[in-house]
Amino acid sequence: MGTTTPRRASPSRAWVGALLVAGLGHTLATHAAADDSDRIATLEQKLDQSLQLIQQLSARVHDLEAQVGQGNAAAAAKGPGPAPAAAQPGTPAATQPGTVAATAPDTAQRLARVEQTVTEMAASAGQHAEDIGMPMHGFADVGVGNHNAEFPQYQGADIAELDFFLTPRLGSRTRALFELNFEVGSDGSVGVDLERAQIGYQFADSATVWLGRFHTPYGYYNTAFHHGQQIATSLRRPRFIEFEDHGGIMPAHTVGAWLTGSQRVGDEKVTYDAFIGNSQRITDGKLDMNNAGNTHGSTIVGANLGVLLSGALDGLKVGVDAFQTRVLDDDTPAPAPPFATRVRSYGAYAAYDTDSWEDIAEFHVFDNDDLTGHTGTHRSEAGFVQMGYRAGHYTPYARYERGAFQQSDNFFSAQDNGSSYYRTALGLRFDVDLVSSLKLELAETHLTDRDISSYDEALLQYAIRF
Amino acid sequence: MAGAADLSVICNSRVPLTAGDVRDLFLGEKQFAGAVKLVPVDNSSAQSVFLERALKMNAAKYSTTWTKKSFRDGINPPLVTGSDAEALAYVKRTPGACSYVTIATPADVVVVARL
Repeated sequence: MGTTTPRRASPSRAWVGALLVAGLGHTLATHAAADDSDRIATLEQKLDQSLQLIQQLSARVHDLEAQVGQGNAAAAAKGPGPAPAAAQPGTPAATQPGTVAATAPDTAQRLARVEQTVTEMAASAGQHAEDIGMPMHGFADVGVGNHNAEFPQYQGADIAELDFFLTPRLGSRTRALFELNFEVGSDGSVGVDLERAQIGYQFADSATVWLGRFHTPYGYYNTAFHHGQQIATSLRRPRFIEFEDHGGIMPAHTVGAWLTGSQRVGDEKVTYDAFIGNSQRITDGKLDMNNAGNTHGSTIVGANLGVLLSGALDGLKVGVDAFQTRVLDDDTPAPAPPFATRVRSYGAYAAYDTDSWEDIAEFHVFDNDDLTGHTGTHRSEAGFVQMGYRAGHYTPYARYERGAFQQSDNFFSAQDNGSSYYRTALGLRFDVDLVSSLKLELAETHLTDRDISSYDEALLQYAIRF
Repeated sequence: MAGAADLSVICNSRVPLTAGDVRDLFLGEKQFAGAVKLVPVDNSSAQSVFLERALKMNAAKYSTTWTKKSFRDGINPPLVTGSDAEALAYVKRTPGACSYVTIATPADVVVVARL
């Protein structure tokens, strides 16, 4: 390797110390978990008592219904005749077995009212969640480290993002998903992004078409996790598939149309995606997905085909994907016309997700044509392998990732993070509870062409979902 | 609480499902039965037994699976009822609804599977 950037020992040690202190917070979390267990036990006890009461009431209703049935049978046996005098509610006559025949109509009415009331109560309880109408979910994470996990030029504490996603209940076939993200950008300011705004129509289980801005369905990771850091085992995304505004070199979002679905074929399940949308541009060294459209009508088109296996390979998904787009470099110095590159990406992936293991491998090849300088085709590659083992609340994981990007290819050389690199990372995820997790990651990153340098990272993240 | 009791997966009378559909139904993979939009409903009083027997997973994994599903596909997890009676009432009156109960099932619902 080439030169290595000098490491500032003191601040790093300070942050590592801070991470260790934070790790000790685990003990507090354990105590909190014990308190939760007590509360849960108490609630379970109350629930049991409530259920017993419901069972007793149900049995009582059942008995009364049986009595009414016997009364009707007796009345039928007696034949037509004058209606018996109605018993007053609550009087012994209303419940004495010997007088059931005489009070059956009134009892039946009362039972009908009780049943209606119970049904309404049950219905209102059961429908409560449905009536919310606009379920809102979200993710958030904060962190600390000797570098910033997303912007390594910074160190210290950071607020990463606050992400809301809304899934309003519409008609039986119309669906919508909106994702609003508040995140800190590379200049430290808080920006708001409409990460996803997609409205779709579901023809069947095997076909839904979405229009709007969506996660580009390449590979596995981009659609499986995206902004949901709490549901991702690792502390951050692989560098080359970071979000565009965080320096990712692949189009994480597309504005256009997306057809997706799945179909069982025997015991296996086949999944597919096909999409078309606005092609991207490079501006200020970053990819932009052209939310408002582009001026030349170019498109990105792509597809993803996967298979979920069963039997001994249950939990394993394998697939391939490809996309093509035409990217203009708006940073090209005037008066020259913007550099244009036809980007072609071919990918393959495998993900093994079981109770114990979460292993992901993803690999992409780029065959890019220079449409302006006519320097020919440039081939680049990127990929990662990540392995995690779920052991109760703890999930240790390891990841190796590498990007080998031709710097003679304007598509990569024009992007701030388009330099080649490799990174190794070891991490430990601790699930504080079902919806929050603490992650510690130690990583080493080597930049290998445009810049030749390396840096080590010790990062801590607290991530939640709600 | 439901223990070793029989568990019945029930659906509204107009829902044509089979036992093989139960897993996909409660994991959001199957949302239609013909033209009928399916409405899976969890029954919290029997959920742990159901998850263990039908889906072979615990509540934590079930929740995480639905979070991922909802995040990717924009669909919502099943509604939750608090008892067998509530689940039964909801299924009886809601076209496309399916749930699971540990009590005897009336004739006006379809028993899709007994677990």
